[in-house]
Amino acid sequence: MTHASRRFLHPEAIARIARLELRARAVVEGVLAGLHKSPYKGQSVEFLQHREYVRGDDLRRVDWKVWGRQDRLYVKEFEEETNLRLALLVDGSASMDYRSGALSKYDYAATLAASLAWLALSHGDAAGCAVFDDKVRASVPARTKRSQLASVVEVLEAPRGGRPTAFLPVLRGLAETLPRRGLVVVISDLLGDREGVFQGLQLLRKRGHDIVLLHVMDDDELDFPFEGPTKFEGLEIPDHLACNPRALREGYLAAVGEFLAEARRRAASAACDYSLIRTGEPVDAALVKFLSRRASMAV
Amino acid sequence: MPTFDFLPLLWWGLPLVAAPIVIHLINLLRHRRVPWAAMEFLLASQKKYRTRVLLKQLLLLALRVAAILGIVLAMAQPRWTNALGQLLGGGRSAHVVLLDDSYSMGERSGAGGGEAATAFDRGLAVVGRICGELATTRGRQEIAVGRFSRFTPPRGSIAPATADTVPPTGAAGRLDVARQTVTPEGVQRIRDSLAAMKPSASDAGPLGALAAAADVFGDGGGSKATQVLWVVSDFRTAQWDSADDTLAILRQFAAGGTEVRFIDCAGEGAAGEGSAGNLTVERLAMVGGVPAAGVVVPLEVSVRNDGARPARDVTVDLREDGVVRPGARIPEIPAGESALQRFDVRFQKSGSHVIEARLPADILPADDARSLVVDVVDRVDVLLIDGALADAAPGAASRAGDAFYLAAALAPGAGAPTGLQPRMEPPRALATLDLKAFDAVWVLDVERLDAPEVTALEAYARDGGGVVFFVGPRTKPDVVNRTLHRDGAGIFPVPIAGMVDLLPDAAEQRPDVVVEEHPVVAVLAGQRNPLLDAVRVDRYAAVERGWEPAPEAGLRRLLSLRNGAALMVERSYGAGIVAAVLTTASPAWNNWSRGNPSWVVVMLELESHLASGRRRAESLDVGDPVSVMLDPAVDGIEVDFLVPPDGTVVHQAARPAAAGRMEARLDTTNPGAYAVRWRRTDGLERERLFAVNVDPDEGQLARSGREGLEKVLAGVPFTYENAASIDPGARTQNGVSLVTPLLAILLGILLLEQLVAWLSSYHPATRRGAAA
Repeated sequence: MTHASRRFLHPEAIARIARLELRARAVVEGVLAGLHKSPYKGQSVEFLQHREYVRGDDLRRVDWKVWGRQDRLYVKEFEEETNLRLALLVDGSASMDYRSGALSKYDYAATLAASLAWLALSHGDAAGCAVFDDKVRASVPARTKRSQLASVVEVLEAPRGGRPTAFLPVLRGLAETLPRRGLVVVISDLLGDREGVFQGLQLLRKRGHDIVLLHVMDDDELDFPFEGPTKFEGLEIPDHLACNPRALREGYLAAVGEFLAEARRRAASAACDYSLIRTGEPVDAALVKFLSRRASMAV
Repeated sequence: MPTFDFLPLLWWGLPLVAAPIVIHLINLLRHRRVPWAAMEFLLASQKKYRTRVLLKQLLLLALRVAAILGIVLAMAQPRWTNALGQLLGGGRSAHVVLLDDSYSMGERSGAGGGEAATAFDRGLAVVGRICGELATTRGRQEIAVGRFSRFTPPRGSIAPATADTVPPTGAAGRLDVARQTVTPEGVQRIRDSLAAMKPSASDAGPLGALAAAADVFGDGGGSKATQVLWVVSDFRTAQWDSADDTLAILRQFAAGGTEVRFIDCAGEGAAGEGSAGNLTVERLAMVGGVPAAGVVVPLEVSVRNDGARPARDVTVDLREDGVVRPGARIPEIPAGESALQRFDVRFQKSGSHVIEARLPADILPADDARSLVVDVVDRVDVLLIDGALADAAPGAASRAGDAFYLAAALAPGAGAPTGLQPRMEPPRALATLDLKAFDAVWVLDVERLDAPEVTALEAYARDGGGVVFFVGPRTKPDVVNRTLHRDGAGIFPVPIAGMVDLLPDAAEQRPDVVVEEHPVVAVLAGQRNPLLDAVRVDRYAAVERGWEPAPEAGLRRLLSLRNGAALMVERSYGAGIVAAVLTTASPAWNNWSRGNPSWVVVMLELESHLASGRRRAESLDVGDPVSVMLDPAVDGIEVDFLVPPDGTVVHQAARPAAAGRMEARLDTTNPGAYAVRWRRTDGLERERLFAVNVDPDEGQLARSGREGLEKVLAGVPFTYENAASIDPGARTQNGVSLVTPLLAILLGILLLEQLVAWLSSYHPATRRGAAA
């Protein structure tokens, strides 16, 4: 494991995941093979149905026994048991740089992404990753090769532009470039072009991708614990505000609450699996909670 | 209208009220910079809550300012005086300041050279500070100031002054500062009048002044003014330790709700260990002799040492009529004791002479001098009534009679001038002569005295004259007992049982005469005196067996016989003294008068002792009136009093007195020699001198202190402060204290501030709350 991978894959998190290996495996399998039934039909071990041959079908899939009995060409369809194609889209905009603890939101998101990639790769699934702000800054397509995790980590560590987020063009581009339908995990604070987020997610969804939206927020952003005269300087917005934070806290929390509610609502309407994750929460706990939630959805 | 007990604290504390505002402004300049991602929510909140936030901040700021203001106000001790109440007198505060100006307040203390501050100086400063504080106090403040000496009752009065006995109007009229409302201009006038005050020479105590204060408070018309009594004194033990009447008055004050504040002005350590102490000329008196021109007059001066260490080589300067004469030296005066020193004075001319004894100046100069006026005459007439002359022709005298031997003793001759002029008369002369012209009357072996003679003799004795009886062969015991003794009511001191012989005492060889303890025979007391041993008594008048004098009679024995019988006795009779020698003056029954020098000595001493009630060699105390009685027939009524020390003339017209006489009278305020001059109708000018001295007891500087006062004035609430540390601002104020309600309001403000601050603060939610 490289140094970079150790940075994002906390040993404790991995250990806890490892201890939950059976459950995680079930979750992953559920995600990859059970819960998310493959929309692809092709060669597999499990027969699904016959259908009449049309031109262009692979002649290797023609059921010659049926042709012999009925003199009609039918091809055999099997439920494809393909590996998951996991696409990790990590928000690398300037707002993701805020940190109140050891990890910034981006660090936290990258750790989550790397953990998910490791889980996928360790089960033979393909995992790819892209880091974006107003455009894709670095990416690696989904692969199952052994060195893929390093590639993912390399993408996560790639220099970022410190730019504001522009979700819609980025997600639109990704929707067009993702070759096959798969699981798209978007990890972002959703700050910035809020409307574009959900439009982009809907595009992905229309392309048949299963969308998971991991909404990463710092504890400070959720609790606003500031006291004393403070000058807030926007990370993405070129604006600042000098104020007594205690006086604005109530209004701030209300606005954040509305924002979270809207995100949750619009994610649901876009058929996205939405999870709010606090950076104060241990990464492994967040991962387990996410996987557990996915498992419960599969039941 | 609010007033403040600690107004300076208010002025000092008010700037603190701006502290929250200043802190707020400083905080505005000290913003913490935070790079922030979720700016849109913050901006939205700021846009939505801008007005609310501003109001909340202003409210918080106002509450904090109010809290600090409340604390400052509470420390300044505000009180509310109702304006209407002030108008009606209900908010008035009345202060009576009594300043002790007895001469002990002249005690100097303080280190360093120059003129040290006296206790009186400190007292004046305290009074000035009190006035100044009252002038700066809001509300109607009234003050009256009086000195102790202004209220001292005349020494002639018998009843002590009390609130009932001191006439109210008179008491109020003697105030130095009459009751008045305190104004800045008035305070300056009071201070000007204080600056001219000096300690008096009196021993004035607090009693009269306290009674006057009660009267001053009583003049308030029954209003509910806060009353404060200030007593500024040195609180000497002599004045405050026997204070039953004072205690009674102070209890009246306490019962009336008057606050009593004692301010001690005495210097620290003035009478304490290691101090130089105070020497007092306690007594200056003539101790014997005849104050006649050319005759040696023995005087004695007594000096008391009130210090904690013995005083050595104390020199007493003496002046005779202002002229320095050889002084007296006292080798040592033990601490706390007195020492007596005798000295002789020979006045060359008749008339009134002033003797002054003065000590070197010490911490209390007022008691360092004492004066005495001695009236010296050219000759002193002594009347000798000799029974042997009863039947003789007028003017005849027998060389063998008692009068002869007595006259020889009283006027031995030109070589030994005594100033005495004996005059021998028969018994009947008692009724015809003016006995007041005689220094003493000697009644020598009379057979009997008729009633007019006895009456005249007794009147003379009662008026202060001295009478001495000698017995002898003519004396009839039953007549003496019946007419002169009269069971103790008469002038003869003892009842006589009879004339008896003193049996010889060949075996023991004891002297016939035994000296008892008495000033007259003190010169013969002590070890055996060969002169007295030579006296032989053959016969004497025996006192009735079993007779005991009444205790109140004051009978004293001067000489006794070896068998225990009385030989010479004396007792007081009215203002005078009567004595009886129970043997003859002539050698008929003894050999004493026959060439024995002790006879002359004892007779001269007896004469001096008998006449002491009539001789003017006394002094008055400061406060006593100097008084002369004038006969309008021969004296003019215009009298000039020359007041020491500078001879200021006080003119006065004599006023009618008893028995058709006129009296000129002046109360004394200064020590020294007062002269009273008037002109007779024949044109001659007359003068009398009076020595006026301070009360030596006032010179005892022992202090009662707080503990002593608490003990003596048990049950009387008072505060005791030292003049150096007095805080007039801590005085009781009129009006209702606002401290308690202010503290309640302050508590409310603080609670409200906490509430607003809590509402404006961030409080981390519980995990459950956060998860929700």
